[in-house]
Amino acid sequence: MKLLIVEDDADGAAYLTKALSAAGHTVDHAAAGREGLMLAAGEAYDVIVLDRMLPELDGLAILRTIRASGVKTPVLLLTALGGIDDRVEGLEAGADDYLVKPFAFAELLARVNALARRPPTQEMRTELTAADLKLDLLKRTVTRGGKRIELQPREFQLLEYLLRHAGRVVTRTMLLESVWDFHFDPKTNIVETHMSRLRGKVDRGHGCELIHTVRGAGYILREPD
Amino acid sequence: MFRSSSLRLAGLYTAVFALSVVVLGAITFFSMRQALSNQFDARIRAESAALVEEYRAEGLQGVVDALHERDSTPGSLDFGLQGPNGAPLAGRLAATRAGLGWSSLELRAQGHAERVRLYSVVLSDGDKLLVGDDEERIEALDGAVLRGFGLAFLGVVVLGVAGGYALSGEVNRRIAAISGTAEGIIDGDLTRRVPVRGSDDDLDRLALTINRMLDRISGLMESLKQVSNDIAHDMRTPLTRLRQKLEAGLAAPQDREAALEGALGDLDSILDTFAALLRIAQIEGGARRAAFRACDLAALARTVTDAFAPSAEDQRQALTLAVESPATVDGDAELLTQMLVNLVENALRHAGPGARIIVKVTRLGQGATLSVADDGPGVPDAERERLFDRFYRLERSRSTPGSGLGLALVAAVAKLHGAEVNLLSAQPGLEVRVSFPEAA
Repeated sequence: MKLLIVEDDADGAAYLTKALSAAGHTVDHAAAGREGLMLAAGEAYDVIVLDRMLPELDGLAILRTIRASGVKTPVLLLTALGGIDDRVEGLEAGADDYLVKPFAFAELLARVNALARRPPTQEMRTELTAADLKLDLLKRTVTRGGKRIELQPREFQLLEYLLRHAGRVVTRTMLLESVWDFHFDPKTNIVETHMSRLRGKVDRGHGCELIHTVRGAGYILREPD
Repeated sequence: MFRSSSLRLAGLYTAVFALSVVVLGAITFFSMRQALSNQFDARIRAESAALVEEYRAEGLQGVVDALHERDSTPGSLDFGLQGPNGAPLAGRLAATRAGLGWSSLELRAQGHAERVRLYSVVLSDGDKLLVGDDEERIEALDGAVLRGFGLAFLGVVVLGVAGGYALSGEVNRRIAAISGTAEGIIDGDLTRRVPVRGSDDDLDRLALTINRMLDRISGLMESLKQVSNDIAHDMRTPLTRLRQKLEAGLAAPQDREAALEGALGDLDSILDTFAALLRIAQIEGGARRAAFRACDLAALARTVTDAFAPSAEDQRQALTLAVESPATVDGDAELLTQMLVNLVENALRHAGPGARIIVKVTRLGQGATLSVADDGPGVPDAERERLFDRFYRLERSRSTPGSGLGLALVAAVAKLHGAEVNLLSAQPGLEVRVSFPEAA
């Protein structure tokens, strides 16, 4: 994938460029606002990683400008501001996702991947499937190998999120945000607990596992090869 | 002194009043003058009509007698009667030459000039009758009016200037008191307050507002100082640990991976603490109040208990929700959720295995309470209030994870919502009760 990183901190940008390239992406880097805006508006990228505080032109201004000129490229906003309003402000300016510094690289990578291949038609689907697992969004039912699985409402949402991001790593924080709407980090392992229950219902007793733990990153739902 | 806004204002008022006295004077002067000269003319015209009547009834001799009689009456008008060829017949104006109808003439008599207003008519046999009056009578009245208004003008200016000085002196003294307080605060004495007279006027209200602002500022300063102290005090330990792990990793290459992982873990917990401190500071700053919406406490509590019930079960604890009556409060859903999460996590962590934890939502009139009660070991009475301090931890909890910031955040969120947090003994166990005030 082709990514653009707009970040003024040279060390941070060098690290991100190296690590994202190692993960198989092509990375362009802009160190200042104006250059970032030129690249973001002029070139075709799969995802733009945009720092909020930049010299010349700040991140929100760039974001508003490219959105106003019709650029729909997914944007992940990075910020050192952990305020609650800052997130809302970023999303209102047209960001697709938001990450507070400092963050683990695995978190950034997972979010970039989640943004990049967001199939536009998926919102319209009424059924999500992976191998012999079927989730019916209208009837709110789940079957595996034709056999009905009873899930709690949160477990259903969790599985739906995993299926929508099938083949991609989802992190604990992403799940907290989208399934529970918790925008802070509880100290209790609620994600792990719910996930282990979900796996018990979905995977236990079914030859091959679909949900896997990715060490140091999160979870992935993957069809067996 | 001339840079004083109250004095300038007083000066402006004085000028406006003085100008209005001048305008009033001018209007009075001109309309009085008009009225006087109308009256003047009417008198002349009436006299002349009376004499014409006299002439018709008594003939020329009658008029001549009448003129003699009038000339000897003090304060009467001036008259003159001339023959058809202009020969003077009788009266003081007998020798005066004037056209028919109205005219104004300068007459010289006894060495001084006087302006006279004249009216002349021709009688039926060609004799000419003149009736006139001295215009100086009007002018004398004019002078009286002008003097009156001149005095009034002077009075207004003197009163205005003197009053302005007195008034601005008073206002300046009170403003100087406010400036003095501000200067004192700039110099670092945050305890200074603006004196209040208790008269509830605008300056007093301003003083009260400024004092409340100063209270708020010193409160914020206090909490800032507290935060820096807390950071200095409590961050040193984890940072030292982090440093030791990194040193150990450098010293022993075979343990490097474990050391790095440990260091990363330490770093994450330090960052968590930082985030929590910043969040508390932000909440205490109060900026969130603009984003308040109606929040359904029961729905919020259900989300949280649903999320934590499985974790509780894994520790053989029971987490249940009791909604005694649905309740809505005006607030920030995200912060209220975080507050409840902190309370539930506290209970899960400290109540011990086998404990029962109940989250309760109750409506009380227009207000509401949200409480989390457990039947664990509870907290000794003496230590209860200190739980809200940042970084405070019970002696027996030192070994469990947690930053000691959970309840400080609860207290901050509650305060932002105008709610009261009480720690009660649940006999056994602890109940934390958050009471929200009646919605405005």
